[in-house]
Amino acid sequence: MINKKLERVFLIFLSSLLAFSCKTDSEKSTNPIFDPQKVEEIADGEFPYQWLSTYGFFEGDIKDLSPIDGLIPYEPASPLFTDYAHKSRFVWIPEGEKAKISGDELDLPIGSVLIKNFYYPADFSKPAGERRIIETRLMIHQSSGWEAFPYIWNDSQTDAILKVVGGETEVTYRDENGKNQIINYLIPNKNQCKTCHNKNEKLDPLGVEVKHLNYQKEINGKSVNQLAFWTEQGKLERFLGEDQHPKMIDYSNESLPLADRAKAYLDINCAHCHREEGPASTSGLFLGYEQTDPLKLGINKTPVAAGNGAGNFQFDIVPGKAEESILIHRMNSTEVGVAMPEIGRSTIHREGVELIKAWINSMESN
Amino acid sequence: MKKIQILFKSLLFILLLQACGETSHEQLFDSSTLDKRSLEEVEQVVEDFILAENNQTIEIGEGFFDLKTQLILDSKENIIIKGAGMTKTVLSFRNLKTGGEGMKIVGKNITVQDLTIEDAPGDGIKVQHTDGLTLRKVHVTWTHGNKSKNGTYALYPVQCKNVLIDECIAAHSRDAGIYVGQSENIIVKNSLAYGNVAGIEIENCDNAEVFGNTARNNSGGILVFNLPGLPKSDGRGTKIYNNQIIENNHKNFATPMGEGPNGNTVTMIPPGSGVVLLAAKEVEIFDNEILRNKTVGVAVASYQITGFPTDAPNWSPYTSEVYIHDNTYDRSKGMPDLTRELGQLISLYNAHGKAKTQDIVYDGIVDKSRGTNIIDNPMNICISEPKIQDLLFTRFDLSQGEDNIQSYPEVAPFTNCNVRIETDVTGIASR
Repeated sequence: MINKKLERVFLIFLSSLLAFSCKTDSEKSTNPIFDPQKVEEIADGEFPYQWLSTYGFFEGDIKDLSPIDGLIPYEPASPLFTDYAHKSRFVWIPEGEKAKISGDELDLPIGSVLIKNFYYPADFSKPAGERRIIETRLMIHQSSGWEAFPYIWNDSQTDAILKVVGGETEVTYRDENGKNQIINYLIPNKNQCKTCHNKNEKLDPLGVEVKHLNYQKEINGKSVNQLAFWTEQGKLERFLGEDQHPKMIDYSNESLPLADRAKAYLDINCAHCHREEGPASTSGLFLGYEQTDPLKLGINKTPVAAGNGAGNFQFDIVPGKAEESILIHRMNSTEVGVAMPEIGRSTIHREGVELIKAWINSMESN
Repeated sequence: MKKIQILFKSLLFILLLQACGETSHEQLFDSSTLDKRSLEEVEQVVEDFILAENNQTIEIGEGFFDLKTQLILDSKENIIIKGAGMTKTVLSFRNLKTGGEGMKIVGKNITVQDLTIEDAPGDGIKVQHTDGLTLRKVHVTWTHGNKSKNGTYALYPVQCKNVLIDECIAAHSRDAGIYVGQSENIIVKNSLAYGNVAGIEIENCDNAEVFGNTARNNSGGILVFNLPGLPKSDGRGTKIYNNQIIENNHKNFATPMGEGPNGNTVTMIPPGSGVVLLAAKEVEIFDNEILRNKTVGVAVASYQITGFPTDAPNWSPYTSEVYIHDNTYDRSKGMPDLTRELGQLISLYNAHGKAKTQDIVYDGIVDKSRGTNIIDNPMNICISEPKIQDLLFTRFDLSQGEDNIQSYPEVAPFTNCNVRIETDVTGIASR
């Protein structure tokens, strides 16, 4: 039904697949060693596959995540925080097909696949060094719409298995300051993907939007606009140049205005829910980059159904008073029911909290 | 209204006394006696939700299911989720580590029945963007000793259409037990809400009927609110009838002990409130038993009373078109609440003497575009109670500021009228 052409690519990998299938392991269960038994699988074009390797997205040792020809790396200007995980992202656009820009939207053809790998370097000061890949989330554009599939990597890092119920695993790493960290990483269940990836109750990509991709990035050793690169690769039409399309900034770029950085942060981290088309529309709190209405941004706005999340505060944002703002209270908590965003937040994103605090404190007091 | 508090320093000792007010830990049954289901059996339920297909029944067997992830049913049609009975199938979300609500549903024509949901960190069951929802014999509760850990709403349909809640039980929510928000065409009937801050709440909804329910031992029994700044900006048309609204004197635990109200409006509800209308439009309250609520039987209030900003598009802070008739009242419970400003207002400034429970209060706030003289009843608040001479009614005048609050016992301006409230829920009544 989708993208039969992908199959050709997979054939190459069939032999290695068969090799894998000979390796048996009687240990079925997971904690502490996760090594599900490999079962032979054929790339028959009927998605989803049980094993990530069956798709054949990566060449060589799968854990190197070296993309096959045609797989395009991408990165949003401001990334979504997920428990300090590093991400390596790729998009597969079927051969002979192209993505199109229409208005501000980036439309990917049926058969496209977004591939997002979540990993932790053992030492954050050496991001290219030893690492552990935790999960790979695929979003596949089928004729019925986008669908998301979470794959969990085995401990030997030889493959990842589809696990719709999600899971949890302990992750250790040394952070940029040389401090050892242990976190309880939670892999969302399949339907939790839509907690974030939700536009009018349809699953929708987040980072793959014109505004998030429209910036200069290093690709294959040279700095190039990502969408220009896609165009060059014959995978995008109607890109008219960087200035002709909306553009998101990198919130971590300290040379840019504070308010813009804060709103860029809120856009990618919050606005997928907190917008008219998102599940948190119930709250009336809308945190998109383009939002200018103070009430919708939460300024002197009372909560609606925040329950526990409101702490002992009255307003989402109290200008000049970050410590009295519900936004900060919720960003600064890991308690389920209080913590925002709801997913990928078993840790606090300290840099994010500092940024939003600085923004709120820079506002003129009531 | 902040200043009011300063006036009451002398009453501090009473306040302190009341801070240890009533608390309920009542449970329908003890779920710990049920057999605990295995990890595989629990994961099977999660998977059944994820892999559900249209027109399917998801059956959940007997036992105690210790869930570590959310149960999400996403964009499916004609699904029945069925347990083995309220006291047989328990879905516990005590160990949920991510996400808010325990069960989340989006779809069309969905029924959930015969099960219990316990200890969700956020809402018990949230249903959003669903046309056609039936919740029947669903029981949602929290079992924590410390109620400030409890979740927000037990049953939470929001942005839905054609909602039927029937024979459900909602207990110990730190906001509303049965909360229907930003929805239209709603029946809440034959259900029980106890031990919550608010028992049953209809918020920013159109066309709702609430009947045959018992709301007892909450801080507030039944609430009709319209809050500002929401996608569904206002609501109108609610009938509340044949309910037992009894002894809603539970302490307001929406904020932790020792902390006052926060920005959630429900934190302001004074314990001892039977029915509270806030910025409500077109509400009929009749044939209810409104008994032994220590502060007030029915409170008719505009949003200004909260002290929060009242500027929002397509929304009015005023309560208007209200018809209260043929209810029974009982004031025998004792002194009104002093822990919340609205309680203090009623207790200290009512027209009948300090610390007297009121049957009906009206804040007297008028929309000047509809008239300036309260005696002309510009907001169309109509009261027709058979034994009105035996009831305590207070109309406040807050227009002269917090230091000069006036109150009046005369109900006459509001008795010579009636309002016709139109609701039509026949489309869902037969389900």
